[in-house]
Amino acid sequence: MRKLIATCLSASLIASTLITGCGSTSSAGSASTASAAEATTKTQTQDTTDTPAAESTASTDTTNTEKTVIEYWHCNADTQGGTTVEELVSKFNAENDHIEVVAKYNPDMYKGLMQNLQAEATTGNTPAVVQIGWAFLEYFSNNFTYTTPQEAIDLYDPESATFLTDNFLPNVLDLAVNNNGEQVGIPYSVSNPVLYINEDLLTEAGVTDLDIDTWEEVKAASELVRDNTGKYGLYIQEPSDFWAQQAYMESNGAQLLTANGDGTFSATFASEEGIEALQTYADMVADGSALHITWEEGCQAFVDGNCAMLYTTIARRAYVQENCQFNVSTVKSPTWGDKERKIAAGGCFLAITAQEPEQIAAAWEFEKYLYSVESMAAWTIGTGYVPPRKDVADAENGLKSFLAENALMTPAIEQMDSVTKWTSFPGDAGLIAEQTLLDARDQILGGQSSAKDALESAQEQINALLSP
Amino acid sequence: MKTKQEKRIQIILHVILCLMILLWLYPIIFAVCNSFKTSQEALNHVISLIPLAPTIDNYVHVFETLPFVRITLNTLFIAVTVTSIKLLTSFMAAYALVYFDVKGKGILYFLMLSTMFIPFTVSMIPNYLLISKWKLADTVFGVILPQLADVLGIFMLRQAMRGIPKSIIEVARLDRISHKKTMKEIVLPIVKPSLCSTGIIFFINSWNEYVWPVLILKSKENYTLSLALQMFISAEGGTNFPVAMAVSVMTMSIPLVLYLFFQRQIIDTFAMSGIKG
Amino acid sequence: MRKFESIKGYLLLLPSLLAFCVFLFYPMLETIYLSFFDWNLIKPTKKFVGFSNYMELFTDATSLVILKNTLLYIAILLIFNLVMPYLLALFLEFIVKKGKSFYKAVFFLPSVISLVVGSILYTWIMNPVSGPLSFVLKKVGLTMPIWSTTQGWVIAVLCIITSWKCFGYNFIVILAGISGVPKEVVESAKVDDVSMHKIFLDLVIPMSAATGIYVLIYCIVQGLQFVYTPIKVITQGGPNYASSNLIYNSYHEAFTLFRTGTSSACSVITVIIFMILLILEFRFVERGIYYEN
Repeated sequence: MRKLIATCLSASLIASTLITGCGSTSSAGSASTASAAEATTKTQTQDTTDTPAAESTASTDTTNTEKTVIEYWHCNADTQGGTTVEELVSKFNAENDHIEVVAKYNPDMYKGLMQNLQAEATTGNTPAVVQIGWAFLEYFSNNFTYTTPQEAIDLYDPESATFLTDNFLPNVLDLAVNNNGEQVGIPYSVSNPVLYINEDLLTEAGVTDLDIDTWEEVKAASELVRDNTGKYGLYIQEPSDFWAQQAYMESNGAQLLTANGDGTFSATFASEEGIEALQTYADMVADGSALHITWEEGCQAFVDGNCAMLYTTIARRAYVQENCQFNVSTVKSPTWGDKERKIAAGGCFLAITAQEPEQIAAAWEFEKYLYSVESMAAWTIGTGYVPPRKDVADAENGLKSFLAENALMTPAIEQMDSVTKWTSFPGDAGLIAEQTLLDARDQILGGQSSAKDALESAQEQINALLSP
Repeated sequence: MKTKQEKRIQIILHVILCLMILLWLYPIIFAVCNSFKTSQEALNHVISLIPLAPTIDNYVHVFETLPFVRITLNTLFIAVTVTSIKLLTSFMAAYALVYFDVKGKGILYFLMLSTMFIPFTVSMIPNYLLISKWKLADTVFGVILPQLADVLGIFMLRQAMRGIPKSIIEVARLDRISHKKTMKEIVLPIVKPSLCSTGIIFFINSWNEYVWPVLILKSKENYTLSLALQMFISAEGGTNFPVAMAVSVMTMSIPLVLYLFFQRQIIDTFAMSGIKG
Repeated sequence: MRKFESIKGYLLLLPSLLAFCVFLFYPMLETIYLSFFDWNLIKPTKKFVGFSNYMELFTDATSLVILKNTLLYIAILLIFNLVMPYLLALFLEFIVKKGKSFYKAVFFLPSVISLVVGSILYTWIMNPVSGPLSFVLKKVGLTMPIWSTTQGWVIAVLCIITSWKCFGYNFIVILAGISGVPKEVVESAKVDDVSMHKIFLDLVIPMSAATGIYVLIYCIVQGLQFVYTPIKVITQGGPNYASSNLIYNSYHEAFTLFRTGTSSACSVITVIIFMILLILEFRFVERGIYYEN
């Protein structure tokens, strides 16, 4: 009985929902429906066989025994190298006869990926290769099981035993070393912040020296822009991470996290210098010379000429270059007076989270491919990141011609010597500590509390989390 | 005299209403227009609606970077399956509630109605764990499974069935016509319009669903349209605005077309949900 | 025979009940259970902490902000989705006499569009510096507040986005309710020279009260859940929790901070509030129907 109702009902439903009008004659409706439903299923199946990617997903748990299928998790949206990820992966899949890589995109950047990784762990699965944002180095290494690159090399690729030291500068490799001194992964995407300048708007505002070096000059120029054009002077990126603010504060001599020497760490961002820096920015927001707005809106305001200077990652170069209708240039991340420039490396490293030997071997093989000169060059062009590997910038099959054409990249490459580690809070509370810092930033820039109060209370909270 | 003045007032009122409507529909017009602009133009001439140099590149780009046909089919598959199952379960439950003298009917109906008042956050974690345990994470079935029944459907169909004169059913009972036959030959044809519009509502809701799929679906191949949008927004490299608009336009086109065709039925059904409890 | 009949009845109810039990009622019990434990989704063991998750919620400064926000959301949602549709419905029913079905169709139209799409569209239209709205406001000499990072404004704008979707539904429901008010009563009051606002306040609104209460409750229960999507897409609860509400906070605790206990406790509190509303709905609306029948 039920079967009958089921067929009859569902048939008439799909029909009436999708094809015929409501209240039309029923028998004709049901007939065309069944075939329509069938058609839908058919297209579905057909599509499955047509798309190679789909096939591979399906094969994860079923038949394909010849190829090892591994998952690669990234957070490169379409506008941030997503297409390059696809190209690199499909090239690898085409050339390789025993490994099939499935790339999975994770929205909401490295934080989103970290959350997905944690959620995925509840299912008992893990991807093979993941991008880990620098800010999550500690959290990742404290909470997840992974294979270090050197372990993977020694086990499955002993001929390349010196791969890491041969191809990477020690200070770059260091970025992916955690507080226990372990090389957790290999730096993959490296970015740093630069100051994008709307030359036309600054000139209009009466700024004569467009070669801006210091935050003091930025402040003065911003005020001129506000007074003479009615527009905004500066926007510093504020997504759900503290990266740009770290560079801004640490260049003034502050330090976000300090090692105590006994293996423990304390948050120290509420120092005089740290407070001074953020308060300066908050004051600029309050007096209308700087913008406090979401990242996307801030970048848009720069591109359409409503904001004269944009302090954001070099990864936005392509976006700025393609969309601006004025003369745009970049300068190195400004310094405070003649203090030392300190900018945190942005981007991510690749970690191997595969659990089975076969998967780990495959993961390493894929990683090695990603770090080849050609792949690195394609990656740099597609994302706007700075190559972490030696020899890519000058190689003929690398970036030589690209860099010649894209002058906006130059400051980012030149300031690589000032790159420091992106602060990563240790321990279980890493995620919560990061969130606390972001909340403090919002309070300060929103004008709800002074930099001193907000930073001091955030520091206290984070130190309470960090103390065992 | 009085009527003439009244007429004039009426016209002014209609003009005001039409202006409101323009404002109301502006976001849709905005999306369609911007989806045909280049990124540079969209960012720099956000006010003007007519593209200076119309282009379909944004749409082409979507099809090049995403398995868009597949994503559309996923969405369709989920929406059709969810709609069909929900209508089936709702029809059965409504029939039982109206025509069977089951004990505890009142309590059962209350329980069912109460599901409307359970926020999704309550079932979120356990359902996520359950779907993961059953290895259905990142599959369309993981999206479908928790949506097999819907109190809205039970409620609408119960309402429609209660509208059928009791005498007809009683005659059928006396004639010893089986429930199966009563259901199929008497009740179903009468409640068909309600079934239709409830179905359309289920379909549109499922088509637009975001909260649950975003937790469950992880790979591009399994995305639904609502998730496809996030490929183009708020990433480190910047939002590709006109492309996001193109995806938006394609995402909303199907519900809009359905709405244009079944506008009256949909409105009547929704309107009914309020008055007759 | 009768017994057999009633078994058949249960069989017909079974699929729906089963679905509700497995995916709603059982999860609800499990959430209540989880609210007494400290867990992060992946640790093999859950630590029993008694009521401390609840205590934390009641004492934490952030929860106070979230509770206040939730109330503000409710207040603004009610203005946009109850008061305004009511006014528009009264206006269309009693003052503008023609084109009712056309206006109904148009005002309902955005209700079929996905909230994700709506959120994206509005972030561009309402971009406080570069969007078309700020452009127009600038022309008339106003500066748009930077709503995405300003307390209060952020909630108002998120509510507007949600209302774009919900307004139409509430509007047609209310309109249907008002249409149920007998015309003769209103006409005779008009003849007696009773002023329009008196007619509305003393006649029409009380006579459509059952609908009004239904929409009021629907507005709170569904509205708070609907608003989750724009929060997730646009602000992620920020700045500094200024746009978070009970529903979003449950999500944030569970899938951003991985504190399932706090998340569950927050959900349980939401359920309790909603259940009170359910009882109210039964008292007023369901009874109203039996009366009508």
